[in-house]
Amino acid sequence: MNKVKQKDLILYSGLIILGLAAPYLFSAFKVQLTYLCVLIVLAMTWNLQGGEMGYNTFGNILFYGLGMYLTASVQVGMFFPLAEWTESGGEKTFVHTTAQYFQGIGVGLLISAIVPAIIAGAIGYAILGLRGHYFAICTLGLGIAAGEIAGGIEIIGAGQGFTTPPFPAEIADTEARGKFFYFLSFALLVGTFVFVKYIYGSRFRLILNAIRDNEDKAEAMGIQTMKYKIVGWMCSAFFCGLAGGIMGGLIGYIDSTDVAFDGREMGVFMVLMAILGGKGTLWGPVIGATLFHFFKEGLWTLILGWQYVALGVLIVVIVVYFPEGLMGWLREKYPERFGEVIDEKDRKAQVELK
Amino acid sequence: MNKIAKLFVTFISAITLTLVSFTSSFAKVEGEYIVLGSAISLTGKYSSNGVHTQNGYNMAVDRINKMGGVEVQGKKYKFEIIYYDDESNPKRAAQLAERLIKQDGVHYMLGPYSSGLTKAIAPVTEKYKIPMVEANGASRSLFTKGYKYLFAVLSPANQYLEVAIDLAVEKNGGKGVKIAQAFEQDAFSQDVRLGILDAAKRTGSEIIIDDKLPKELNDMAATLAKVKAVKPDVLVVSGHTKGALTAIRQISEMKVDVPMLAMTHCDAAKLSKQHGKKSEFALCASQWHKNLSYKDKFFGSGKKYAKDFQKEFGYDPPYQSAESSAALLVFKDAFERANSFDRDAVRDALVDTEMQTFYGNIKFGPGGQNVAKPMILFQVRCKGDDCENRVVAPTKWASDKFYHPIPKWSDRS
Repeated sequence: MNKVKQKDLILYSGLIILGLAAPYLFSAFKVQLTYLCVLIVLAMTWNLQGGEMGYNTFGNILFYGLGMYLTASVQVGMFFPLAEWTESGGEKTFVHTTAQYFQGIGVGLLISAIVPAIIAGAIGYAILGLRGHYFAICTLGLGIAAGEIAGGIEIIGAGQGFTTPPFPAEIADTEARGKFFYFLSFALLVGTFVFVKYIYGSRFRLILNAIRDNEDKAEAMGIQTMKYKIVGWMCSAFFCGLAGGIMGGLIGYIDSTDVAFDGREMGVFMVLMAILGGKGTLWGPVIGATLFHFFKEGLWTLILGWQYVALGVLIVVIVVYFPEGLMGWLREKYPERFGEVIDEKDRKAQVELK
Repeated sequence: MNKIAKLFVTFISAITLTLVSFTSSFAKVEGEYIVLGSAISLTGKYSSNGVHTQNGYNMAVDRINKMGGVEVQGKKYKFEIIYYDDESNPKRAAQLAERLIKQDGVHYMLGPYSSGLTKAIAPVTEKYKIPMVEANGASRSLFTKGYKYLFAVLSPANQYLEVAIDLAVEKNGGKGVKIAQAFEQDAFSQDVRLGILDAAKRTGSEIIIDDKLPKELNDMAATLAKVKAVKPDVLVVSGHTKGALTAIRQISEMKVDVPMLAMTHCDAAKLSKQHGKKSEFALCASQWHKNLSYKDKFFGSGKKYAKDFQKEFGYDPPYQSAESSAALLVFKDAFERANSFDRDAVRDALVDTEMQTFYGNIKFGPGGQNVAKPMILFQVRCKGDDCENRVVAPTKWASDKFYHPIPKWSDRS
């Protein structure tokens, strides 16, 4: 056991060093790297429901969008009247000082983690009784409804969109903004990974798996499934909210349906990435998101106008050839590397039976 | 577990290598080319207007390059544009702007299509101090953020339909009118709405319907049913190309009688071609019309531009293309006056722009918007089945009289 841990330690410290060095090594790619961190976080948190618990949610985008609006609103609202900031075509210009900017985003992020988690609890209490397709469709509706509602609330800019506070101009270094958001998202990624890894070693995961495999049996064994389902969703919402808050600041402009409650893109991507890498595994979503992001950034612009066709083909290929994702495919090919013991005699006996 | 980890590490290092090999950055000026960057909506809900914008840019690049290019410090340069597809998505647009500046090394930007996308890109260009001349972001809030590197060749969105309300009031004997309005929930249309609110307040008009329409607009029957019931004097609709098409389709299907119908984006939607006589009498706000008498040495007059554009791309240029072409003329002018490729020198030259193009006069106000050019209104008029847009306001360029009120559907053949 200890030996394995030591090797893991080398791997993790290597990755962390790479992560910390990345913005200096690939200075021009900071924004893409930030996106990558956020995508991985979204895929990992989706995996908690979709992969571990067997509840295919399309609603996680709700928490992401909420986090985005909350962070920006708090960041502005702490120092200036929010209504005047977002007033369409506002005549006044407000400028955050450096200290105000960072205080605002700090408090904003805190709130954008807590509030979505609470909301996930409340919504979860109401709808986690639904199973299978019913749950999926219901959560799909949540994301769409949230986008439409946000598009009608004047104080957060309604259809005009919400311009988040610009990075303080007093900081002369033009790279500072990119670095700030990169490290913020990297910290979030590390935090999420540590948390999910912790869950993977806990009884909590086994309960989620039990719910996935047979919820009725799990209940019959005395597990209060509802409680665990809600807590699981709250955990996802916590990290999704943070991811949204960071993205809002990075993009600089929040649009209700295209940026915040972007179910059509981000909402689908997080599912796709988790499935591509292999749902129900620790590394699957990480690998899936990384591959997906590189596919998107690398090929997208080469096939202008056809990128969504290519994405469609990718989805078909994944579903047909890698239904269990890359990790699932590897596991099938090299089971021994995943620590599965194969009884050769037994396997042969089965083959002969056929 | 650690075998997988090894695999992952191999994977990461492979990516690292690829990344490093990709980091060969372009320069702002390469050989004889001045490289401009632009994220354009080639797919998604703004794709048709995105293509109009791109055609406008390309047309001007070809023309300027053919006519000798840009002369800076005695040397001739040509324009070249790097395009990316922003998928009509602000999030993507902001990311691509970053990519253009950081990875492709672009030092001068051309705007995207729509106010929303311009709003997403402006913070990025501002951060890197990259001058951006944009031709399709009209939202007023773009010009109140104190941006120093943003220049728009078009009039702000709140001016689009104010004139229409004035016209309606004039026809009503100077008394206030009853206005029904429906606007898409996006930055541009909401700004047009603000303009109407101002005009209503100024003229003592009353707004009796104030609806919001979803993006990806395909149905506004609910609003029209209300219009049928309360009989307003003016119906105002704004929602980009789809909004204009949907409005005409459903108004004619539901036979909604309203004395005046004011819209945006009629020419981009090729309304008179697509809906023919059904679209007759619709009043449209436009940044430009080919019959206006502005001139420049590259495109000649508006009519000449329209003819050349038709030859090149096979359709009549909507104002979105014309204003996009004008953006290139502004850049050329600024480069030559700055006589340098220094971004700040170019930016300072842009501030002092004062020129006439086939598209209109251009002079930038303190917020970056064009203050030298009025909006115009045209009305769709038909002779037989042949429909076209005729300028009706302002009177200086009006080729036709404004027809009011719109005859009832029962009287229209």
